[in-house]
Amino acid sequence: MALQSTPFRWGALARLLHWAMALGLGYAVGLGLWMTDLPVGIQKIKTYALHKSVGITLLGIAVIRLLWRLLDDRPLPPPGTPRWQHRAAGLTHVLLYGLMLLLPLSGWLYNSAAGFPLRWFKLWNLPRLAEPDPALKALAHDLHVYAAWTLVALVVLHAAAALEHHVVDRDDTLNAMLGRQPPVRRKDPPP
Amino acid sequence: MTVATRLRFALLVSLLVQAAAGVPGAAAAAPAYEVDRAQSSLTFVGDQQGEKFIGTIRSFRAAIRYSPSDLATSLLDVSMDLKSIDTKNSERDAALATAVWFDYAHTPVATFRSVGPLRATKDGAVADADLVIKGKSKRITFPFRWTPAAGGAALDAKVSLDRLDFGLGAGEWADDSIIGHRVDVIVHLALKPAAPSP
Repeated sequence: MALQSTPFRWGALARLLHWAMALGLGYAVGLGLWMTDLPVGIQKIKTYALHKSVGITLLGIAVIRLLWRLLDDRPLPPPGTPRWQHRAAGLTHVLLYGLMLLLPLSGWLYNSAAGFPLRWFKLWNLPRLAEPDPALKALAHDLHVYAAWTLVALVVLHAAAALEHHVVDRDDTLNAMLGRQPPVRRKDPPP
Repeated sequence: MTVATRLRFALLVSLLVQAAAGVPGAAAAAPAYEVDRAQSSLTFVGDQQGEKFIGTIRSFRAAIRYSPSDLATSLLDVSMDLKSIDTKNSERDAALATAVWFDYAHTPVATFRSVGPLRATKDGAVADADLVIKGKSKRITFPFRWTPAAGGAALDAKVSLDRLDFGLGAGEWADDSIIGHRVDVIVHLALKPAAPSP
């Protein structure tokens, strides 16, 4: 199993980072939706702490993904992909990366402005991004929530497009990220 | 009555006289000071999830009598309005109001009162004092530094408390790794001589 990507397959590291991000995002969003309505108590504090720890981990993963993307090769679009589709995919990916950074950073800022501590999995405390400030707290909160819903919407679009490639176009786009070797269904190159 | 009993009785009487002398208004009392609110602060440092936070008790009253040469009639008497606590975090401040923490609805005031004569130290004195928070009284040792200044003096102290001694955050909140048991109280009082009573 190659670590690096090829023009036909995502490498092991790219796939690991992609699916770790997918799982982590789902977990963090789920915790985020659940935790706000918990009654004040230790359970709430622990759930917030877990949400924050997962979020900070995802920030690290997002940065590593971006750096790895600069070094790594990447699969070519399936043959015959319309130009607009390739561009739309590219734009979606740029937005996804931007939001993968914005979401944890806005959460971190919100946490700082609210005056709460930030400890990563009970191991390390992270510095404040800002001093406690009610106005900044409200702004960062809104940014965090809107960024979250935007990211969820884009992930749905991204997943729908991947399924469309797989089921309708019957090309290799999703297989490239699933690591299926050798190609199960690859269209012949255009003559 | 044996000699020892008489001696003990005499000592008791003299202590009572000293205690009476400590009542404000008594002739031989140590001089009284009042607090310069703008220059004074009463804060505590707590620990939440490995990070320090500062709480400020914005509203308090203090009756201070102190003279290094009259420690028997010196006294410290402070009342704190706990509802004035500000930890720079509205959620945390709201939680402090609830029954599991300070329970403002039932015990909105904490008191601190020195008991008996003060004892001199290198740079000030040490008092034995009863600290009452949430209706629970604990005798604590309170060393403080006394710094004479132009037109008054400054009293500085730092004492470490265990929040569980006062039933603060019992039950599930007793977890030391989430909210630390140790709380440091930091006192800085800028004092000026009290206006003579009419």
